[in-house]
Amino acid sequence: MNKHLLTLFSVLIGLVVFAGGWFIMHAGHQGVIPAVAATQAASAPAAKSVAIDSTRCIAQTEYMRAHHMQILNQWRHDSVREGNRTYMTRDGRHFDKSLNTCLGCHASNSMFCFMCHQYANVKPTCWNCHISPMEATQ
Amino acid sequence: MNEQRRDFLRKAGIGALAGLGAAAGLFPLFALEKTDISVFSDKPVPGKTRWGMLVDTRKCGKGCTECIVRCHHDHNVPDFGKSKSSVKWIWKSEYEQAFPTASKQFQSPEVMNRKVLTLCNHCAEPPCTRACPTEATFRRWDGIVSMDYHRCIGCRFCMAACPYGSRSFNWQDPRPALKALSPTYPTRETGVVEKCNFCSERLVKGELPACVESCPEHALLFGDLNDPKSEIRTMLASNETMQRKPELGTLPSVFYII
Repeated sequence: MNKHLLTLFSVLIGLVVFAGGWFIMHAGHQGVIPAVAATQAASAPAAKSVAIDSTRCIAQTEYMRAHHMQILNQWRHDSVREGNRTYMTRDGRHFDKSLNTCLGCHASNSMFCFMCHQYANVKPTCWNCHISPMEATQ
Repeated sequence: MNEQRRDFLRKAGIGALAGLGAAAGLFPLFALEKTDISVFSDKPVPGKTRWGMLVDTRKCGKGCTECIVRCHHDHNVPDFGKSKSSVKWIWKSEYEQAFPTASKQFQSPEVMNRKVLTLCNHCAEPPCTRACPTEATFRRWDGIVSMDYHRCIGCRFCMAACPYGSRSFNWQDPRPALKALSPTYPTRETGVVEKCNFCSERLVKGELPACVESCPEHALLFGDLNDPKSEIRTMLASNETMQRKPELGTLPSVFYII
């Protein structure tokens, strides 16, 4: 009898310890974690205007050569549909997700896109609507 | 350590484990702390702002087309010269065409003769986005009914769905129909529907829409309809205003003072 009582008592102690621990863990956490980033994003979705470093591209030349189209597709989705306009490179530089960011540097050579596309015999439809560097310089 | 103490610790441990197991079974969500994923990106919170416009038809100048010219130049809107194939983002309508269901009986002739500035209403319940089979047009996080021209297949379902005629179709290549190319904004191509975008490209830079900025009479007011302290909301509260075809339940974000 005494042994059973002791077992029951110790199990109850364990439950109390568990419940106490649970309340301490959750004290002060009602709902979601308030984060500073949320308010910043809401007030200025794209106003992170850092001077663009035009000496270095967002990624390695080899990577950009092979994957610029995927990046442009992703950027379009993010900025047009999600409103997430800032791209951060792996080394922490910020860029506006826009074709104009690319053209900001690469339009200095008006043949930049065309030379490679012609060589690779690809015919992207970008310039059906977007103003190409060739037209802009004219 | 004596036998009794070890026994006690063992049993207390079993009790704690049993409690944890029972709690996890009963309330499985308690095991995980809820985290708002959106705080880790700079995505805006959907529905927080709702851009809207207030058009004061009393101030709007008769015969003035400043806003139309400015908008159509800035956004490379083509002028084909024919009304059948015309492309328009912002235009002037007759009072009866703008408000066909409003009471016209014994209405003041001055009001009836007014030209009403019309544009996409950026409805809170847009019928066009529901009709679009490719999600080329969609309602953005800030209430703007936006177009992704890359995805438009030119089916014109949205044009049929829009009760305000705010959408235009490019039957021809728009490039030759542009008098002066605005280099800061793309054009469209044949087979694509286009419409007013509430100057989302200017809002990103913190500027007001081109029509609002260019109006010499300051007849246009732009602001956040979800902010009760905004200028547009105070104007809406202190004036009698109208929306176009409110009975359709599209909840337009463009309001009119008659």
